[in-house]
Amino acid sequence: MIEGMIEAWTRLVAAAPRPAALGRRWLGPLMCIPALALVTAFLVAPAALTLHISMTDMSLSTLGSVQWVGLENYRRLLSRPELPKIALNTLLFVGVNLVIFNLFLPLAVATLTAAWEERLGRLVRPLWLLPRVTPSVVYALLWVWLTAPAPYGTLNQLLAPLGVGGGSWLLSYPWPVVIVADGLVGTSFATILFSAAIRAVPRELWLAAAADGASYWQTFRYVVLPLLRWPIMFVATYQGLSLLASFEFVLLLTNGGPGLWQTEVWSLYAYHQAFSYYTGGLQMGYGAAIASLLVGFGAVASLVALRLFRFAELTAEPRLRAV
Amino acid sequence: MRSIAIVLLGLAVAVLLVACRGGGEPAPQMQSAPGQVQIVTITAWAGGNPQTERGRIGMLEKAAERLNAQLEREGSNVRVRVEGILDTSGDMARKFVLAAQAGQAPDIVNSSHADIAAWAQAGFIVPLDQYIAKYRDSTDLKDIIPNLWEPMRFRGATWAVPQDTEARPLYFSKPLLRRLGWSESDIGALPDRIRNGQFTLYDMLRVAKEAQDRGVVRPGYGYWTRPVFGDNYWGGDFYQFYVAFGGSLWDPQSGRLTVDREALRKFFQFHHDAIFGYGVTARTVIGGTEWKQWHETVSRGDQVLFWNGGVWQWAEWAQGYLGGDEGRLWDNVGFALIPAGEPGRRPTTLSHPLAYMVTSEKASGRRNQELAFRLIALATSPDLNSEYAVQSKHLAILRTQLNDPTYTRDRFLAATSYMVEHAFFLPNNPDYGRFDATLGRVLLALAAGQLNVDQAVERAIADLQSAVPELVVR
Repeated sequence: MIEGMIEAWTRLVAAAPRPAALGRRWLGPLMCIPALALVTAFLVAPAALTLHISMTDMSLSTLGSVQWVGLENYRRLLSRPELPKIALNTLLFVGVNLVIFNLFLPLAVATLTAAWEERLGRLVRPLWLLPRVTPSVVYALLWVWLTAPAPYGTLNQLLAPLGVGGGSWLLSYPWPVVIVADGLVGTSFATILFSAAIRAVPRELWLAAAADGASYWQTFRYVVLPLLRWPIMFVATYQGLSLLASFEFVLLLTNGGPGLWQTEVWSLYAYHQAFSYYTGGLQMGYGAAIASLLVGFGAVASLVALRLFRFAELTAEPRLRAV
Repeated sequence: MRSIAIVLLGLAVAVLLVACRGGGEPAPQMQSAPGQVQIVTITAWAGGNPQTERGRIGMLEKAAERLNAQLEREGSNVRVRVEGILDTSGDMARKFVLAAQAGQAPDIVNSSHADIAAWAQAGFIVPLDQYIAKYRDSTDLKDIIPNLWEPMRFRGATWAVPQDTEARPLYFSKPLLRRLGWSESDIGALPDRIRNGQFTLYDMLRVAKEAQDRGVVRPGYGYWTRPVFGDNYWGGDFYQFYVAFGGSLWDPQSGRLTVDREALRKFFQFHHDAIFGYGVTARTVIGGTEWKQWHETVSRGDQVLFWNGGVWQWAEWAQGYLGGDEGRLWDNVGFALIPAGEPGRRPTTLSHPLAYMVTSEKASGRRNQELAFRLIALATSPDLNSEYAVQSKHLAILRTQLNDPTYTRDRFLAATSYMVEHAFFLPNNPDYGRFDATLGRVLLALAAGQLNVDQAVERAIADLQSAVPELVVR
């Protein structure tokens, strides 16, 4: 619907008689207004509001009389003893998930299925979509039942004849279970992107490499992979930021436990402080401060990623034009 | 082409405007024509199990008929109609807070008395003293068991009317005790021994250990606490063991939350001993067991030797897990108070009344407070409450109910009513949620083996003092 609106607007503007004073230089900015309005309404305004709330004492106790407290929530947050643990948990969660399940595994799956006959690839690739299309709560419940202690857990039932297991896998190995469960959801997204990118490589390049005596893997390594820089950059940045802000499977599987902050990630910490009723007292001001720091970190991380992947180069005007 | 584009764009804008218009118009509160009957819709929210606790709304609906009859006798042209919702998500309290902030709360909310402090402070509910004074003598409010008014009070005012109450017994398996060599008279005498302080928590752990060592129960099935999994931690049941060791949660005079260092140590030591010392509590119970798994296991009555739960669970087990066969529960399961922590202390149990509260105009956007209160007062009647109590296995809130055949005919309710005399209540303090969460996190860490007892005590007190600035540490 948004694209349709933009297209309709474009045609309208193109067809409308333009006053001589306006000129073409106003056309671009005018066409950006709808998108800017949406970004302002749904991104900039909420971020500004969150920043404002982070400087108040808004909580369940003060709902009738919220007061401005300046940077007090930030001071309180930075003095929390659990903060380094939560920061490390976040880096672990994002780093391992991104590298293994959003870059390495999707590239591997996309590469392998690209080498197969198209019909077989078309059968296998959608299987990776299953975790993504399954509702989150259902998917998390499946993992809970898979890792439950004997006699309930599927894993324990399968391993019982081997004399292995018996306890709760989720309780004993919370991080591996959370990362694998969450990672498999992200794998599908990157797999689709990489598969499409690999298929978009001109056939002539494959033939030219083959003519020069390169094997499939050599062609992939030296010809195709460099051409995947754009989708890899996109996935790394997009999924990295998504992981920074996501906590649904940590919440559903371990709720940040077991025990003291063992799998608590930054975004979940913000959620707990701001929105847990009995357990957090709805400390929305404090939670907003935690979220604001995450937004700031995300913005810095985006800029670093764009620099790392030489985004300016990727979007520069080509030196050669088609005649 | 241009005209098509303009039409499409206009349609898109119209769709956006309609979508952004927000929720539908609320149903009209009063429907009337001049001189005719005015129907006032009273909205009510409650949380609970749909199989056994639907009566929390049902009592209000039946009370509406009585209130309409009263209004007719008074010559009023106002009649009430109840629109009730029983929320089964377990998240009704949070939904209520968000609704109240938006001015869309229901007229009546049924929730834990522990919510009173925060909601009163936020101005979401109204004090009821003036209405109680006006309607007490003409209704069954005067019949409410006196100590049940205590948890309804906050900062000198009464903010709610008790709707139900309960106790949280120690359950035990009769067939497993028999297999351990206990006679029928031994088993029958156990509740009284606990009541008299002759059977303590550590006696329970020793019996559980013996059962485990002799193969009567599987390892880790000697004693089960309330299950904890994910975000379902709720400390109320666990504080029974803190109180059993002489601890107190709050100072009723000042209203401040308290923690007793020595009782806290013994509380952590007990749970540590249960999991790691005696090894009778599986680690997965505190941290890795869902309610469904827990219910399925304990309700069988022959898997776990001792466990603590709530009286209302008797109905859940009978109806939800045993196909309505309550007789099987009587054959296999016994119940008693939570034993004293050590010789010289007293047995205890937590009573956690739910209460009807009337929301303020700020929270609901309506001025139905007095009508809502009258509805609550009429719902608080022996016949309605007894019917609800029998179905849900909650305990009586009215003195008359204790002689009501509907109530006394129920064998389980008759056998557990004495527990309320030994009950304590949770604090009415706005910081109780943070207190509970902080202590719970430390308990979960202890159960996970991350902290020993000394570390748990120091960590708990430090974190509690940080989370609850007005905490009193004794």
